[in-house]
Amino acid sequence: MTEVTTANVNMSGKEIRICHMYPDLLNLYGDRGNVLSLIRRAELRGISVKLVPISIGDEFDPKDYDIVFLGGGQDAEQNMIRKDFVEVKGPKVKEAIEDGVVFLCICGGYQMLGKYYQEHDGTKIECLGAIDVYTVGEDVRYIQDTVYEADFLKDEGGTGDVSASQGSDVNACRLYGFENHSGRTYLGDSVKPMAKVIEGAGNNGKDGYEGAIYHNVYCTYSHGSFLPKNPRMTDHLLRLALKRRYGEEFELSPLDMSGEEFAREALLKYKEKGNTAP
Amino acid sequence: MASLRYHFAIFCAKGTKFALNLMGRGATTLPGKVAAKIDPKILAKLCKDRDCLTITGTNGKTTTTHMITDIFRNCGYEVVTNVSGANLLSGVTTSMIFGLKNMKKAEKEGRKVICVLETDEAAFGKIACQIMPKVSVVTNLFRDQLDRFGELSHTRELIAKGLDSCEAEILLNSDDSLVSELYKGREARTSFYGFSERAMRENNEKYPGKSGLLPASSDAEYCTGCKEKYTYTARSFGHLGAFACGKCGKKRVAPRFFVEYDLARNPANEGYEMTLCDAGAGRSESDATTEDTVTTRKVVKLPIPGTHNMYNAMAAVSACVRMGEKMGDTKNLSFDQAAAALEHVEAAFGRMEKIAIGSKKICVMLVKNPVGLDRALSLVAGAEDADGIYMLLNSNIADGKDVSWIWDVDFESKTFPKKVYVSGDRYGDMMLRILYSGVARERIDAQPMEVCAELLDRAISTTADGKCLYILPNYTSMLALRSILVKRYHLKDFWK
Repeated sequence: MTEVTTANVNMSGKEIRICHMYPDLLNLYGDRGNVLSLIRRAELRGISVKLVPISIGDEFDPKDYDIVFLGGGQDAEQNMIRKDFVEVKGPKVKEAIEDGVVFLCICGGYQMLGKYYQEHDGTKIECLGAIDVYTVGEDVRYIQDTVYEADFLKDEGGTGDVSASQGSDVNACRLYGFENHSGRTYLGDSVKPMAKVIEGAGNNGKDGYEGAIYHNVYCTYSHGSFLPKNPRMTDHLLRLALKRRYGEEFELSPLDMSGEEFAREALLKYKEKGNTAP
Repeated sequence: MASLRYHFAIFCAKGTKFALNLMGRGATTLPGKVAAKIDPKILAKLCKDRDCLTITGTNGKTTTTHMITDIFRNCGYEVVTNVSGANLLSGVTTSMIFGLKNMKKAEKEGRKVICVLETDEAAFGKIACQIMPKVSVVTNLFRDQLDRFGELSHTRELIAKGLDSCEAEILLNSDDSLVSELYKGREARTSFYGFSERAMRENNEKYPGKSGLLPASSDAEYCTGCKEKYTYTARSFGHLGAFACGKCGKKRVAPRFFVEYDLARNPANEGYEMTLCDAGAGRSESDATTEDTVTTRKVVKLPIPGTHNMYNAMAAVSACVRMGEKMGDTKNLSFDQAAAALEHVEAAFGRMEKIAIGSKKICVMLVKNPVGLDRALSLVAGAEDADGIYMLLNSNIADGKDVSWIWDVDFESKTFPKKVYVSGDRYGDMMLRILYSGVARERIDAQPMEVCAELLDRAISTTADGKCLYILPNYTSMLALRSILVKRYHLKDFWK
């Protein structure tokens, strides 16, 4: 597939390399917006982006990337990539994870990093087993707008023009998404949940948590797209990746997020209004 | 007695319509629903011994239906058709019941009657056996509210079921790998329409499109049979083009009906000229060379702008020709006549109709799914009269609760007009999508749905004289917009 370098601006002399895994097959529910977000907020800071889409049969070398993105797909498409992902790229993906490469995995991508996916009839589908989670499929599908609270975003508020009223810790920690999954994911001891559920079902509808964090791997059920509405999350991933590449002294410069805040406030208004129209 | 049941069902349908109209409401589906409750076979009875034609697929149904209807009318037929969107059992039945009077009158006068029915792609499997169409068109399969309708392969299975429950001549889009697969096992009664492969290839070479940062999320990159990635010798848009699978050998079938075109001019503008071709029964594009005397060619003006409407136009003309062949009326429905009649087709509300408001124009394009939005944005980018764009996004149940699909569309490669207006319940989501495509925040005027009428006033007033404001609503925001246009701009409501 074609590699894209967006080096139209490179004021910082810094570069970030993003691997977009299986964009031709795992491309559900607007997940590509996450990649657009990473690119946008890097480029606006003068950091050039090298974006490499890789698919079935393409080589994956952990040394080549700072951030890896893995979205969700339809069942047929997920079945198509499973062998390539688990058996061919699998060992290198695990190596990358243990080595601290930043990962963002959504829905099907999240499930596939786990140990297995158990279908309704009890059949266990082996997954990569890179993180200590497993998923059980159930009949009822969770489809709804979601709100989560992630503590690690508390310090992520210092990036510019957040209006005073919305610049509170609560707002900074809030994550907005849209979930659409019938799988229930359960976390093992070596994995932390990504956030607390405020609205929605989250991982399994029972324990009140959403997503998973392991090393620099961030997993969530949020489509929506997830990152555009959550610029602090975007910045968090960029910072992790850039510090890993350029050293702890690297500072991510502040960046306006008033457009994103406007969208978040609009979403809040929509939710307050309630939505019962046919 | 069956006939008593039938007459009672019709009587109740009429009563329902009367009551709804008294309440000032349109009656496009409920009467048929009532009738089908009383007589579950009512649609079969209404369609029996009549010449019916169905149109299904995810995109372009309404426009193709509308074009076919106009062509038949221009060729002297009495046509019964369903109102846009009323394309389930209830809507089709309603249209047939209230078309009875005209059908009977025409039949008495010796005029030919034809029923042109748009059918929902998921409902087609169930209702085709009642309609028993003579010709059935499948336009395309693109992703459309996956959370509601499931995966595309499932939709295709439903269509296949419908095709197998009737004996219709099948007309398929040759350039859509998902649709053309319906050919298998139904070869003898299938013909194809599409873009000329050579024209696609030459246009690809001469006018390579602007590519975005990331390709749009695609629906059919891989062969459904052997999971091998398709290679393309030419493409039009989305996954449409001349595809081939290197493993199993499956590839685009050369169509009998095809469009030759040149993108030196942009089809987004009025009066765009293209050449419609018919290689003749049993022949295809690959038999047709320019010197070929058998192939009929006709230069026509595209009646409704947009590259996608070139497909719809070709589908419509082909469907009329196939219907003429099937009914033995090749005199009134020759290729030349159908193609000539196409030029007189007029756009409908929400489907590219341009409406004059004082010295300005507005043009409403309903967008419901990623490829529809992609085509609409592409059209606006290429339209010389575009001065502003107004996008409305709601997320009611009829729209789909999930608005994430706007991120599946390649906004990045599209040029936006100077002024961008945004509303709908999800105005924040749409504003952010446009912002992230690179449009400066100051250029986007985004307002809540509550003030969408005021925003419309502002958008129209800032449109330059003689220029056009393109409005792109999704389903329920279009309904809201329509009533605003009726109230504030005194437009006639279409169902009255």
